[in-house]
Amino acid sequence: MSDGKVVKVALIGNPNTGKTSLFNRLTGLKQKVGNYPGITVEKKQGFCKLNETVKAEITDLPGTYSINPTSLDETLVLDTLLNEENETFPDVIVVVVDVENIKRNLLLFTQLKDLKIPTILVINMVDQMKRKGINIDVPKFEERLHTKVVLASARKKIGVEELKSAILNYKELDTTPVSKISTKIDKDFFTKLKSALPEFPLYKSWLLITQNQEFDFLTDTQKKLVTKFREDVVCIRRYQHKETIFRYKVINDILKDSFNVDASKATNLRGILDRILTHKIFGYVIFALILLFIFQGIFNWASYPMDIIDGAFADLSAWTKSVMAPGTFTNLIAEGILPGIGGIIIFIPQIAILFTFISILEETGYMSRVVFLMDKIMRKFGMSGKSVIPLISGTACAIPAIMAARNINNWKERLITILVVPFTTCSARLPVYAILIALVIPNKPILGFLNLQGLTMMVMYLIGFTAAIASSMLLHKVLKVESKSFFVIEMPNYKIPSIKNIFYEVVEKTKAFIFGAGKIILALSIVLWFLASNGPAKFKNAEATIKAQTENTSISKEVFQKKVASYKLEHSYIGYMGKTIEPVIAPMGYDWKIGIAIISSFAAREVFVGALATIYNVDSDDGDNATIKQRMAAEINPKTGESMFNFSTGVSLLLFYAFAMQCVGTLAIVKRETNSWKWPILQLVGMGILAYISAAAAYLILS
Amino acid sequence: MQDILVYIALVIAVTFLIKKFFFKSKSTKKGNCGSDCGC
Repeated sequence: MSDGKVVKVALIGNPNTGKTSLFNRLTGLKQKVGNYPGITVEKKQGFCKLNETVKAEITDLPGTYSINPTSLDETLVLDTLLNEENETFPDVIVVVVDVENIKRNLLLFTQLKDLKIPTILVINMVDQMKRKGINIDVPKFEERLHTKVVLASARKKIGVEELKSAILNYKELDTTPVSKISTKIDKDFFTKLKSALPEFPLYKSWLLITQNQEFDFLTDTQKKLVTKFREDVVCIRRYQHKETIFRYKVINDILKDSFNVDASKATNLRGILDRILTHKIFGYVIFALILLFIFQGIFNWASYPMDIIDGAFADLSAWTKSVMAPGTFTNLIAEGILPGIGGIIIFIPQIAILFTFISILEETGYMSRVVFLMDKIMRKFGMSGKSVIPLISGTACAIPAIMAARNINNWKERLITILVVPFTTCSARLPVYAILIALVIPNKPILGFLNLQGLTMMVMYLIGFTAAIASSMLLHKVLKVESKSFFVIEMPNYKIPSIKNIFYEVVEKTKAFIFGAGKIILALSIVLWFLASNGPAKFKNAEATIKAQTENTSISKEVFQKKVASYKLEHSYIGYMGKTIEPVIAPMGYDWKIGIAIISSFAAREVFVGALATIYNVDSDDGDNATIKQRMAAEINPKTGESMFNFSTGVSLLLFYAFAMQCVGTLAIVKRETNSWKWPILQLVGMGILAYISAAAAYLILS
Repeated sequence: MQDILVYIALVIAVTFLIKKFFFKSKSTKKGNCGSDCGC
């Protein structure tokens, strides 16, 4: 039994083996998501209680097909396992394999086993064994692989306790390598390697000399030896091929003895579903119907909790003013902070519904079919089939989506994907679209079962996707992508979605949205409120000025207060800033108040609603308990006398936010991923020009 | 008193925003590009 308090566990496996489901099953909500030091690859860690005194710290490493990395994500697996000084270097490795793809999945296992780190093999999704006619002789498997084998189903909670017990007793695990590559490839070469680096297991030395990267943990002498061994590149490549062939021979031998599939018992529902869902006509129709259903759901179901949240924040502002002593700090809370925060909290229902649907599509295995289906279209526009993953991920957030482009091997295709992903409608655009659509698009049924607002939301998503495709085509021609790449995607089995996995995914994504943007919005709300509530001499003399102006007219106290509030806002610091940019934004139909919200939302798009809520709250005289939507609807354009947020301004704003690069975080990540300021600046300017022209044209045509 | 609290909140907010957007933590590795990225 382990005598330590914390056992470090590395969870490793091929993509689509149910690794994350197992991680969720083991750790529950005791998870933390961060980044690996110095890079932006997500690092998922969690804790699991093994017994009263020992717990496991589990690191969910990125999915990889082999220990030889082909992308940055996969490099992390290698770095974690080779460097014993690494803080996540494991006491024990848990390798997860899919029972239906065991032959391919075992390649990685045999490589890891040869590193002589205690390793447990988890054969996942065993609940499918009977239906697929699969039989496994576990004792024979354990004997041949020199390891502990756990049959598990993370979804059905099978084998989890057995796995915990195996982790607890990891010191008893056999560390004998599975495949003795040294004797099968070139005995002399490996003998020399062993004597040159005797301090490492032989397979670790082999990995050190076969990679194209520097390892900081090596001493200068070790580095020199490694460099010397790397000199004969042709020989090393030949040996790597031999190694793979040899490993598959070993795996075949093992499987022949201990694993068999009775094909007569297997059902072919998957084949039938695949033919329908990836059909060249029905496939697209089904995908379009699913999207339509999602956007209808976002609008129809989310409206009730959103109204409650909106009303609650308006009441909270009024209540704060009534219980706190009058003064500037009370005003800051009631007019600045609460409306600003309310402007983000209100969108939790819509974000949660969107991610619930996306998680269901991923969980069922349908998303991979969409990627396959869309590949046929993507290729026509110069993007790789793999670009679909970042484009779909972009509906959540452009930042992880741009990082997901690392899977694309061809640099120019990857660059094009990085440049066009920000057009995809991210969750930050959702609050902006939601409030504008609710204000300017009538809530009426179409064809009896569709809702016009939901349909408009879907059109906005399609506009974003079309802009991405069109820009890709343009960039493809400008950048002259000549090299070709291949599109390979693994189709996972169809599964009944796990409610637990969906719940964790939705909680994590919603938390990231709320807390990621929440801090910025809170800080900006304070700054905006201050700038809107203070100003130079004219601001301070507002009451006297209005009194002088209305001396000979009889106006009510309310009208007088309204005039003072408007005059103050116009002559506040923020008013002067807004007035300065007004000539530039006027062609798009915006006044200086909207201009301020646009500038503020350059940090993050969702700030737009919170910023307007703060500005209109300072300006308002219609009580403290009006909702954000009511305040925006009540805003009058002084030049036309009509509602500020009418159809033409609304559509203009929708198009502006569809195309503009209003996200500092995305620019930073593009700089980081391309290692140059050239590309983010190109994105900022290009998308800005497109946004300006389309918004101005829409306003001109519709007004 | 309330004015002081407002100024404290303002200073904290401005400091946070400056730190967030102008003083990013430095990375310990150079770039994230693959071997074929041409950068």
